Amino acid sequence: MNSVLTQLQPSAPHQNRLEEQDELDRTDAASWGSMAGFGNLDRTGGVQGMSIPRVSDPTSFLDMHTDNMSSNPDAKIKIAHGTTTLAFKFQGGVIVAVDSRATAGSYVASGTVKKVIEINKFLLGTMAGGAADCQYWETYLGMQCRLYELRNKERISVAAASKILSNIVYQYKGMGLSMGTMVCGWDKTGPCIFYVDSDGQRLKGDLFSVGSGSTFAYGVLDQGYRWDLTDEEAQELGRRSIIAAGHRDAYSGNTCNLYHVKENGWDFIGNYDVNELWYEYEGKKKAERESQNAAAAAGASPMAVEP
Amino acid sequence: MALYHNQPMAHAQEPTAAPIEHRFNPYSDNGGSILAIAGTDFSVIAGDTRQSEGYNIQTRYARKVWQLTDKAVLATNGFAADGNNFVKRVKQRLEWYEHAHHKPMGLKSIARMIQTMLYGKRFFPYYVYNILGGIEEDGSGAVYSFDPVGSYEREACRAAGAAQSLIQPFLDNQIYFKNQQPEPGSQPFIPGNLPLATVLSLVVDSFTSATERHIEVGDGMEIYIVMARDRTTDDLLGEGKLQKGMEIEELGTLGEGQGERTFLVRQALKRD
Amino acid sequence: MFLTRSEYDRGVNTFSPEGRLFQVEYAMEAIKLGSTTVGITTPEGVILAVEKRVPSPLLESSSIEKIMEIDSHIGTAMSGLTADARTMVEHARVTSQMHNFTYDEKIGVESCTQAVCDLALRFGESVEDDDALMSRPFGVALLIAGIDEKGPQLYHTDPSGTFVRYDAKAIGSGSDAAQQSLQDAFHKQMTLMEAHSLALKVLKQVMEEKLDENNVQLAQVTKEKGFEILGENELKAVIETLAAA
Repeated sequence: MNSVLTQLQPSAPHQNRLEEQDELDRTDAASWGSMAGFGNLDRTGGVQGMSIPRVSDPTSFLDMHTDNMSSNPDAKIKIAHGTTTLAFKFQGGVIVAVDSRATAGSYVASGTVKKVIEINKFLLGTMAGGAADCQYWETYLGMQCRLYELRNKERISVAAASKILSNIVYQYKGMGLSMGTMVCGWDKTGPCIFYVDSDGQRLKGDLFSVGSGSTFAYGVLDQGYRWDLTDEEAQELGRRSIIAAGHRDAYSGNTCNLYHVKENGWDFIGNYDVNELWYEYEGKKKAERESQNAAAAAGASPMAVEP
Repeated sequence: MALYHNQPMAHAQEPTAAPIEHRFNPYSDNGGSILAIAGTDFSVIAGDTRQSEGYNIQTRYARKVWQLTDKAVLATNGFAADGNNFVKRVKQRLEWYEHAHHKPMGLKSIARMIQTMLYGKRFFPYYVYNILGGIEEDGSGAVYSFDPVGSYEREACRAAGAAQSLIQPFLDNQIYFKNQQPEPGSQPFIPGNLPLATVLSLVVDSFTSATERHIEVGDGMEIYIVMARDRTTDDLLGEGKLQKGMEIEELGTLGEGQGERTFLVRQALKRD
Repeated sequence: MFLTRSEYDRGVNTFSPEGRLFQVEYAMEAIKLGSTTVGITTPEGVILAVEKRVPSPLLESSSIEKIMEIDSHIGTAMSGLTADARTMVEHARVTSQMHNFTYDEKIGVESCTQAVCDLALRFGESVEDDDALMSRPFGVALLIAGIDEKGPQLYHTDPSGTFVRYDAKAIGSGSDAAQQSLQDAFHKQMTLMEAHSLALKVLKQVMEEKLDENNVQLAQVTKEKGFEILGENELKAVIETLAAA
């Protein structure tokens, strides 16, 4: 029976990663048999059998052929990259806002990327870095969270979920994964955000922005951030920050996806065209200036306009 | 992998100008282009048939588009050897699945499985850009596009390969109506519900134009059309519906058949 | 009777000259010692009902867990050595989630059942690899209830790894009598409510103690709400309809 338990222990992902294992060589029934295969998952739900080139330094191999580690932008294999994402906590929950542009070199590979990954009804993950790394591991995290729920009859905490993710990517440290994500949700402790990246960093915090456009987003975000923002104000702040980043960062743009995590799970608030919204904001600013000028011309002090 | 062991060893007798590189280079770019467009109740997946390496045309007929099931067609582009091998493995997994679960794999399941298969080689990637087209369980036309390591997305249209940057902007304009304004008083544009005839002519125009301006695209074109069940085929098979020089054939069902129909249209492209 | 069998009782993987695996057959006997468990299929969904034996008033009956969730659309009820079922349920859960991860769809009820049964014969002296997990066969039978695109389904698995689909099935100590009652009362157009009361009625017949909300458990799998274990109030309501009838 002991061996049963060891079989069922969630094994460390990629345990046998340096064993030369080919997809077709595996004889585990899970690779075909009555279950017809689960790709690189072994029968315990762990990840094994990720094929590794038989070279002395697999990492430099990957670096040579892909633009994965950004050190080699001219590489043949262009891996889609993500760019501006932000999340912040406030009295009404968590706001998550992202852009939707994916670039391969200077080519806009897609303008409709979903950079918010819906892990489950209560958990969201954001995507910055390698699109596949984020998408794959956050989907995998969704599976682990569901198993946690079945085993423990209660929802996983954001802290625990983010730790599962960071433990997974830590196993692959130095091998070229690229992921900067915010795991956002609402658990027993209330709204919660953890920043997790592929270096193994895991931070709890109130406010994060990740990606090449993060500096621009932080500028707007820090300016307008308060704990006691109303829901509408908070959503607008998230949206406004992404628009600013999309406007100033060439690697960000297209559209903004906005989510709001509340006590009963997340809501998708909307998808907004960055370009259109930017002009809308400019129009509003112009109208405000004009009305102020008109008031000044009429001789009234601007303060008197306030009710 | 054998390539690695058979690399010429450093026994150079004569001095060489550049140092001999002994790195493992299993990849090559075989050019060509693929694209797919989804309609409300059909999906069109197309690719050219030229395969080249550098300036050298290796063959004028190499397949890049593959029928997987009665409702799924996969187009591959990039390194042909990886592409062919990947398709082989996908087909094997489809067979295993059918034996285990007594049903053919649905389109969105194929898409997810392709992600896991690509990601399984995250550290030794397939140099393949995949576009999957077909009919979803609900009868709608769908297109899924992938990057080489498995990130994927459902879209209304997608071009990939050598002429991606030539074709995609054209599709953005014609399919998503990007940077177009409807005439005053007319209906607003709704992306993704163009009639089949329009989609087909867009596909043909994409490839003839790409052939003109890209040296790696040309020779011939294969267009797969997957039709939802009970959909009329009059707009495809009717008299004079196809452009001159097009040959059409219906591909038989692979499984028990649930009413979806797949057609293959071939057309020549310039061969220079 | 045991005298003749004794020579073939030792090795768990040794056939007797008559072609029987005694340890597997004994494992099936273990189930007949278990509490009675009933499953019924209706067009609306599948229900599961179990008897919880509460040997002492000091025992906290809510800690007896005989119906478990495998996934949101599949549940299982057990009879026999329930501890063995944990291994099987864990395997079923992992398999279901892995299927969902790999294929972006819910696993079929039959495929899930098959996955559980794949475990059943992995016992015996460990061979070269570690495929043999257990030293003996599982001593538990499961009723696996679920809904997929093929509709509501109920499967019965036993220690030999065989699985069969049933419209209605009873297992455990009172299974013979219970199965007969099910056969007499079952019809294809049963409502979910009718199935609930039939299941309890059947349990009531075979239970030694008086049936109440503490010594039975009811669960259902419906298209709308998936798997759910009935709460105390819902359970009480069903028991009341039973008393009224």
